Amino acid sequence: MLFNSIHFAIFFVVVTTLYFVLAHKYRWLLLLSASCYFYMAFVPVYILILGFTIVVDYFAGIYLENSSGKQRKIYLIASLIANIGVLAFFKYYNFLNDNLSVLLNGLGYQNSIPRLSILLPIGLSFHTFQAMSYTIEVYRGRQPAERNFGIYALYVMFYPQLVAGPIERPQNLLHQFYEKHPFDYERIVSGLRQMLWGLFKKIVIADRLAIYVNTVYNNAEHHNGNTLVVATIFFAFQIYCDFSGYSDIAIGAARVMGFKLMTNFNRPYFSRNISEFWKRWHISLSTWFKDYLYISLGGNRVSIPRWYFNLFFVFLVSGLWHGANWTFLIWGGLNGLYLVFALMTQHFRKGVDKVLGLTNLPGLNRLLEISTTFILACFAWIFFRANSVHDAFYIIRKMFTSRGPVYFQEPSMIIYALFGIVFLICVEWRQEFSPHRVSLLNNPHWLVRNLACAMLIVLILLIGVFDGGQFIYFQF
Amino acid sequence: MKRKILLIYIAKNAILFFAILLILDWSIGAILRKFYFTQESGFLYRTTYALEKTDADILVFGSSRANHHYSPSVFENRFNESFYNAGRDGNFMFYHYAILQGVLKRYTPKKIILDFISDEFKVDQSNYDRLSALLPYYKTHPEIRPVVELKGPYERLKLLSDIYPFNSSLLSIAVGNAEFNKRRMGDVKGYIISNDIWANPQLTEQHQSPYELDTNKIKVFESFIRDCLSHNIELSVVTSPYYRKFDTTNYSIRVGKDIAARYKVSFFDFSTDTFFVSHPELFADANHLNNNGATIFGNRVADSMMISRRHVSKMGTGP
Repeated sequence: MLFNSIHFAIFFVVVTTLYFVLAHKYRWLLLLSASCYFYMAFVPVYILILGFTIVVDYFAGIYLENSSGKQRKIYLIASLIANIGVLAFFKYYNFLNDNLSVLLNGLGYQNSIPRLSILLPIGLSFHTFQAMSYTIEVYRGRQPAERNFGIYALYVMFYPQLVAGPIERPQNLLHQFYEKHPFDYERIVSGLRQMLWGLFKKIVIADRLAIYVNTVYNNAEHHNGNTLVVATIFFAFQIYCDFSGYSDIAIGAARVMGFKLMTNFNRPYFSRNISEFWKRWHISLSTWFKDYLYISLGGNRVSIPRWYFNLFFVFLVSGLWHGANWTFLIWGGLNGLYLVFALMTQHFRKGVDKVLGLTNLPGLNRLLEISTTFILACFAWIFFRANSVHDAFYIIRKMFTSRGPVYFQEPSMIIYALFGIVFLICVEWRQEFSPHRVSLLNNPHWLVRNLACAMLIVLILLIGVFDGGQFIYFQF
Repeated sequence: MKRKILLIYIAKNAILFFAILLILDWSIGAILRKFYFTQESGFLYRTTYALEKTDADILVFGSSRANHHYSPSVFENRFNESFYNAGRDGNFMFYHYAILQGVLKRYTPKKIILDFISDEFKVDQSNYDRLSALLPYYKTHPEIRPVVELKGPYERLKLLSDIYPFNSSLLSIAVGNAEFNKRRMGDVKGYIISNDIWANPQLTEQHQSPYELDTNKIKVFESFIRDCLSHNIELSVVTSPYYRKFDTTNYSIRVGKDIAARYKVSFFDFSTDTFFVSHPELFADANHLNNNGATIFGNRVADSMMISRRHVSKMGTGP
């Protein structure tokens, strides 16, 4: 069930209405049933996989709390193996097997391990990471084990963030299932507005850009360098609006029912460097890796070479998390390299700024930094979007060698796409640089507020893309 | 008491919001509808013309290939009958059938040529998505509604909006009303003339293996045939040339031929005709003939139709 479907709209209205009609003690049961239905609307049988990890982690949490010493570690490791095992099998089995075949062929051997026809369960990486954060937090003693199996299952399966995050922590979410969430009109309206804005980003901007990006990237050999540059910039906005749009709908839907999910995006394309970019992009995943991998590796409290390695390694794993393909691995590695390079040249770059007098021109300096960060992010996105590593390098080569007019099948294709991007930049510019100015959607005057919401709906109806709008991040 | 006040407050706000939304939807939808139907050129106008205005003796149905392959002058000269090309870019069997329903409600053409593409019956969601071309006519043409509703289970709900039928058409409507568009995108009775000659023709080989067939498309194809036969229309199903080498007859074409034969309807298959494949200068690209190609092809179709009329026993065979 996609967030941008009528099916979901009906589901949401029914579940939310029942949620407020039911007494508090039955609400978790409603949410759990609704979440099961939501997940089973994709591929019903995969709920068994989800059920397996839920059972394992539920008991692991209780055993972890009731044990001490070495035994705790054994329970944690068992839980992590179960979670990572499921993820590895469904997501990485064929990738590893294919690469093993290449390696063995190179050595003159045949790989006899069969390739399996596996369909990746929707959102597997998201709910696996959320489940893992629970057992790790219980192990670290920062979260008591959840005794109510239904509530724990709901923690993993809570439908707004089940298939594409935000990846929650038990400290933030679990206790909310016990809290009473009264009917609060203002909160409900603000949640609905956030859902509407997310829907706008998805349907009007992301899906529109996707038409151009898919046409160009799937036929790169027919397009010149200028077109490929435009398609890459479009993809940067497409993936941002696709994923942040999904997050907005998820956070808004949860807020309507009184749940507060963590912020997942914070205008990442206004970042002044790659480090800031990763503090603003997919925040729930970045902080997950920071809390559970980077710090476990020693973080920055190690020798400088080891620190650089830690950073690079975390980004490499983050790339692999996104998909079982070398393109994602390179994308992650590239971001890791950016970060390490930025740290290594920090002082040198400050010196250059001083020499060029940029420190006296903060506006220009900021603009240059934002532009540079955006270009670096776009360059990495080439690997993320390309169908293969070979394609990615072919596209990069062509960007620098092939010139010609920018492709557009019909002018409306570019006009709608540019309208969406300009609209987004205007909204985010105001949020970034004039955060205290009230937005049209939250204007104190009822007519302005309602007109703004109605106009967003009108724009969705007028220029939104209603066909075939799958969310990119579902595949992860 | 407090609860009652809250309920009144919520109801008041909800009513105000929906009133604003309805007024905007209705007024913008009305403006779009007005300008949609005042267009005098472009592909949207051609759909309206085919559905509501044409009274030609010979009608052509099909995708962009029909648009580019059937020249009115050829058929008018050969049959001495009026002609209109109702083909539309990126639209397939469902669209053709819906337009046929609109036409048959007004009058009965003498001849219909249905351009049948390779992989016509292949399962392809985009073919359903493309039915959005018919949304502006949903309210005023009840005969096309069953076809439009194939687009999705919630289409009727979406069509409560007056703007939705014109989704993504804003710029096309504006251009369709502009005078310059007539000069820029001129068509001759629905036929789009292309004088381009494919600069670097590349003959690709298309290997065929059976695939999943869309039963909806097959049903609609059969309904198309039955409706023509019940109205005594001379129907010819034609697969026009590709600049492609098929190793065997395309699976959908094979199935289409079988169905046509069952109804004793002519099916002329030019997809494997070696003449066109050996003349790349007749193509604008791999899927479309240029004007010279269309003239030669049109005459060949006319020949086949005449022969077929004389030798009814040869129905269902190639050219």
